[in-house]
Amino acid sequence: MSEKPEEKSGIGKTLDFLAGLLTSNPIYKSIFRVGWPNTVLKRMAVMRSSFYMHIFPTKVGKHGLKLKYCWCMGGIVFFLFLLLTITGILLMFYYIPDENRAFQDMKDLQFMVPFGVILRNMHRWAAHGMVFTVMLHMMRVFYTGSYKPPRQFNWAVGVLLLLVTFLLSFTGYLLPWDQLGFWAVTVGTNMASSTPVIGYEGPFHELLGVQIDNDIRFALIGGTRIGANALVRAYVWHCVGLPLILTAMMVFHFWRIRKDGFSGPM
Amino acid sequence: MAQDLKTDQSGYMLMNKPDYPRVSTFPNLVWVILLMMLFITVLLWAVSFVANAPLEEMSEWAKTPNPAKAPWYFIGLQELLVYFDPWIAGVMIPNQLITGLILIPYVDVSPTIQGRYAWEGRKFAISVFTFGAIMWFALIVVGQFLRGPSWQVYWPIIDYDIGGHGWVREGMPLKQGITKLKSMSMGAGATLILGYSFFGMVLPLVIPKMFPKAKLTRALKGYLDVLGPIKYFVVQSHILMILGVLGKIILRLGFNVKYILETPWFKI
Repeated sequence: MSEKPEEKSGIGKTLDFLAGLLTSNPIYKSIFRVGWPNTVLKRMAVMRSSFYMHIFPTKVGKHGLKLKYCWCMGGIVFFLFLLLTITGILLMFYYIPDENRAFQDMKDLQFMVPFGVILRNMHRWAAHGMVFTVMLHMMRVFYTGSYKPPRQFNWAVGVLLLLVTFLLSFTGYLLPWDQLGFWAVTVGTNMASSTPVIGYEGPFHELLGVQIDNDIRFALIGGTRIGANALVRAYVWHCVGLPLILTAMMVFHFWRIRKDGFSGPM
Repeated sequence: MAQDLKTDQSGYMLMNKPDYPRVSTFPNLVWVILLMMLFITVLLWAVSFVANAPLEEMSEWAKTPNPAKAPWYFIGLQELLVYFDPWIAGVMIPNQLITGLILIPYVDVSPTIQGRYAWEGRKFAISVFTFGAIMWFALIVVGQFLRGPSWQVYWPIIDYDIGGHGWVREGMPLKQGITKLKSMSMGAGATLILGYSFFGMVLPLVIPKMFPKAKLTRALKGYLDVLGPIKYFVVQSHILMILGVLGKIILRLGFNVKYILETPWFKI
C-alpha cells in the first residue's frame, strides 16, 4: 500500500485539474466539506466528515474486504431493506387495506398503474431475497466465527433481526388478499392457537380460561378467523410497527459492529 | 473507555494490530458497496421483468385450497406438523431455535478462533450448526416441492389432478389414510423419553471414564473441561432436542409411530 502520490499520466493530470475546478468552488465545499480526495488524509476526512459515510471506519482491514470472507451479505440485506422501503412507500400510494378493496387494488396495480407490475414484482422478490440473504449472512457470521467475543450480544441482536425479518415478510404476505396469502397466513396464525396456556388449542389452555375469542391468535388477527381486522393489523405491522422496530435494532446492530470492531484472524 | 476495552481484549481485536494491512475505506470499501448496490439493483430489476409475483384469485374463506401452504421460510415448520402436534412444531421448536441460536456465543469454547474459516478447533460447533442448517433447509425443500394435496408426497414434475389421490398406487403407503399409525404405550413411551434424556445427558460424561485411552475420549475430555457443568447442560439439552426431532421423524416414517407419549394434557 503505497501512500505517496504517483507519477501521473497526461489523462490523470487533466482529470485532477477538472476535479479541482469542480471541487474547489464554494458551493461544492459547502456540501461536501472536503475537496477532491486525492490524498490519504483527505480520503479519511471524506469518511469522517460525511454524515452517511461516518458509519464506516476511515480505514478497513484488507482481510475483511475480500468477497470470499464477507460475501457482502449484511450489506445486501440492508440494501434490499432500502429497496423494499422505497418500493413499499410507492405501493402504499395505490393500496387500501380494506377487505373489499385490497384485491381490486392489486388488479389496478397490474393493469392500470404505470409500471405497477414491475413495482410489485420488485417488492416481492426483494422481500424473498431479504429473508434468504439474512439467513446467508447469519451462516457467514457463524462459519467465520465472527460472533465471538466481544461480539456475542450483537449476534443475539442479529438473531432477533432475523425473526423480525420473518415477521415483516409474513405480514406482507397477507396484504394482496388473494387465496395464496390468505391461506398461508391462516396456516401460520393457526399455529399460534396451539401455544401452551395462551392458545385456545394448546395444552393447559383451560388454566386461564382461554377460548377462541380471547387467546393469543385472537390478539394477532383481531378475530376468530382472518378478516378485515387481520388485514388492517397486518398492514399496520407491516408498514409501520415492524419497520420501526427493525430500524431501531439495525441502528444498534451497526453501531455495535463499529464499537466491537470487525472480525479478523488472530 | 472504548480504547480500554479494545486493549483489554487485544487478543480478539483485529484493529489493535498495528502491523495488520489496512487500506483507506474511501474508495476501497465504498467502491465494493457501490458495485454491490448496482449489481443487486440490476439483478432485482431483471428478475422482476422476467418473473411476475404470484397473485391468485381473491381470497375466499369458505374455499380452502388443498394444500394450503405457509410461506417458504415457515414451510419447514409446517412440514414438522406431520411428525409433531402443532404446539411442538409451531411453537416450541421455533422458540427453541431462536433461544439456541442466541446462546451460541455464550457456550462457545474457542473464543479466539475467529475471523477466518476454521475447521480445526471448531469441529463440534460447526458440525452441530451445519446439521441444524441442513435440517432446516431440507424440511423447507420437502414441504415446498414434494408435498401435494392432503400433504402427501408428490414428485414436483408429475402432473396430478386436483386431489391427486388416483396417482397413489394401491398398497403403497404414501397416504396417511392408508398407513396405519399407532402410538407407543404409556410405559414404553415414558421409558423411551426418560431414557433418551438421561443417557443422552450422562453418556458423554461416562464414556471418557469407561474408555480412558480412546482418541475420542481425549477430545471429549478437553471439551468438557472447558465447557463446565452449566454450559454442558445447555449445549447437551439443545443437541438432544435437535436429535430428538430427527428421531421422531425416523420413528414416524420408519415405524409408523404417531405419538411416543400420550398424556391427557399433551402428546409428544
